[in-house]
Amino acid sequence: MRKKSFLLLVVLLFTRQPAADSAIDARAIIREAIDYYRGLSSYSEMTMTIHRPDWERTLSVQAWSSGSKKTLVRVTAPPRDAGNATLVLDDNKVWSFAPRINRVIRIPSSMMSQSWMGSDFSNKDISRTDEIVDQYEHRLVRIDDQEGHKVYVIESIPHEEAAIVWGKEISHIRDDHVELQHQFLDQDMQTVKTLDTLDIQKMGGRLFAVQQRMNMQEKVDEWTEFRVLTLDFDRDIPDYLFTLSNLRNPRE
Amino acid sequence: MSNTTTLLAWRNIWRHPRRTLLTITAMVFADILLVFMLGLQFGQYRMMIDNSLRVFTGQMQVQASGYLDEPHMYRTIPEADPLAGRIRKNTGLDAASVRAYGFALVSSDTRTLGAQVSGVDPQHEPLVSSIPGLVKQGRYLQGRSDNELVVGSILARNLNVRPGDELTLLGNGRDGSIAATVAPVVGIFESGNHDLDRQMLSMPIDAFREMFSMGDEAHSIVIGGKRDRADRIAAGIRAVLPADKELVLLSWEKLLPGLKQAIQADFTSAWFMYLVLIVLVAFGVLNTLLMSVLERTHEFGILLALGVRHGRLGRMIITESALLALTGLLLGMLAGGLLAWYFLVNGFTYPGMEAMGERFNIPSVLHPEVSLRSLLPGPLAVFIATLLASLYPIWHMRKLRPIEALQTF
Repeated sequence: MRKKSFLLLVVLLFTRQPAADSAIDARAIIREAIDYYRGLSSYSEMTMTIHRPDWERTLSVQAWSSGSKKTLVRVTAPPRDAGNATLVLDDNKVWSFAPRINRVIRIPSSMMSQSWMGSDFSNKDISRTDEIVDQYEHRLVRIDDQEGHKVYVIESIPHEEAAIVWGKEISHIRDDHVELQHQFLDQDMQTVKTLDTLDIQKMGGRLFAVQQRMNMQEKVDEWTEFRVLTLDFDRDIPDYLFTLSNLRNPRE
Repeated sequence: MSNTTTLLAWRNIWRHPRRTLLTITAMVFADILLVFMLGLQFGQYRMMIDNSLRVFTGQMQVQASGYLDEPHMYRTIPEADPLAGRIRKNTGLDAASVRAYGFALVSSDTRTLGAQVSGVDPQHEPLVSSIPGLVKQGRYLQGRSDNELVVGSILARNLNVRPGDELTLLGNGRDGSIAATVAPVVGIFESGNHDLDRQMLSMPIDAFREMFSMGDEAHSIVIGGKRDRADRIAAGIRAVLPADKELVLLSWEKLLPGLKQAIQADFTSAWFMYLVLIVLVAFGVLNTLLMSVLERTHEFGILLALGVRHGRLGRMIITESALLALTGLLLGMLAGGLLAWYFLVNGFTYPGMEAMGERFNIPSVLHPEVSLRSLLPGPLAVFIATLLASLYPIWHMRKLRPIEALQTF
């Protein structure tokens, strides 16, 4: 009798284990990828190219990040747009500064899925906080092999009560934490847009997705591409950088 | 022969003048009701369309092709002002106004909301839209390049602004650059259209172009004017549109497909009611006809005995009902038309309409339509139903034998 119940316990333990494992795994993989991407802190210079069927424009952008929530993005060129900046302090705490009118505007949470500076990235995409880790349920769908690397394909579904517009997100994350692809699906599980990594290079001391392009599903020939020019991790970034007063009057 | 039949039929129906008059009266009343209701309905639809269109949409619009389906900011009409000028000149119609649309985050001291910004030509906008006349606080826009705003009433309430307050606008320009401005609110409009009142603010077109980097472009040229001249106006506009098909002229049916569908749905359900009325009248007539046939069985027996064929008897009965129906048709159309015409001239109104009209800057009197499409269908349907009703008595008579018939009294 006693032996039997012990056996049952063992069986239960072993049958439950893999499921729990994969749940922890998937979430951990996402967490690690974000930590890898953001570092403890980071500074980068990038170009953002918005492509449309009949025109294309490129912005130069500086970005600072600290921890898993704070981000500051500032446009440096072209002159007409230079000085426009966005400050992210938390998942839904985003401010925008327009030098032309010298005003700081808080982006309401209802506008978080609106386009950022006319690009195919939303305000939410730009903030790139670790919101996805806790607001979503993660599941490891499969593990692909690519050039000797394992690629984890993870399906993330927002929690019922989370204020997320997506129905599902699918990330392809390489075993060295570099994200290769990120798909955004709407509530009907139709793909809306896909972020593809086009180039991976060693930069700032780590392998990094230095060229990423957001493709809109329904619209051929419409995309926005980020290209990282310089990247520096874990440098000492002062806290005053992430304040409203610095957003309005940059101190650097 | 047929003359004799007609004469016989005519005399037959007047053998019971009271019964015939009653039957005709039933038809005439049904006709009056149908003609008047249809006229009123068409009048109401016209008013509905006019009221919807005059708020903001206009009778038709020139747009860049594809803009209607996917209103991207870069799908514009180049050199819009000269084109609008040519349209005004060629159609002789002043009511042509350029407009541009954009999206912006609108921020007051306390709140930030997303809203639709429309850039309008303050001089011509009042000719194509009723919004300038619906400013409830403050005033409408004045100069083409003044940096000022007129805000929808619900939006103003949500932003907690009054005329004199400032709003900050932040959006994306036509070239993707950051569009930003700070401008004072000079007026607040209440159009009665919930969406517009909640989502829209207007600013002068040149200020809009400055903010959104639009150059000399616009997103639509809105045409107002009377709808009954629409075809001629459309032809006049097409003549001045560039031939390269980059620009399209869209009728209100294309611009507001929902309105047309709503009207069609309403019309269909109304016809069901009319159908019931028509069937009721048809059964009344059937009753009369059947009675008049049955009571003449003996008489038909004599006719048959004299050598009249069944076919001719049938023709006589159908002629009787045709004469009856025709009299009803003519009198009904006349009376219904007169009634509708009376209200067309004097206007039709019901309690509450006046207050509503005043509030939303729309006419408070309804004018029924008097036209072939309102006069004809109802009476014609009653006419046909009456003819169909006469088939049953004829079918009933088809096997009548002289001997048996003669024995019936």
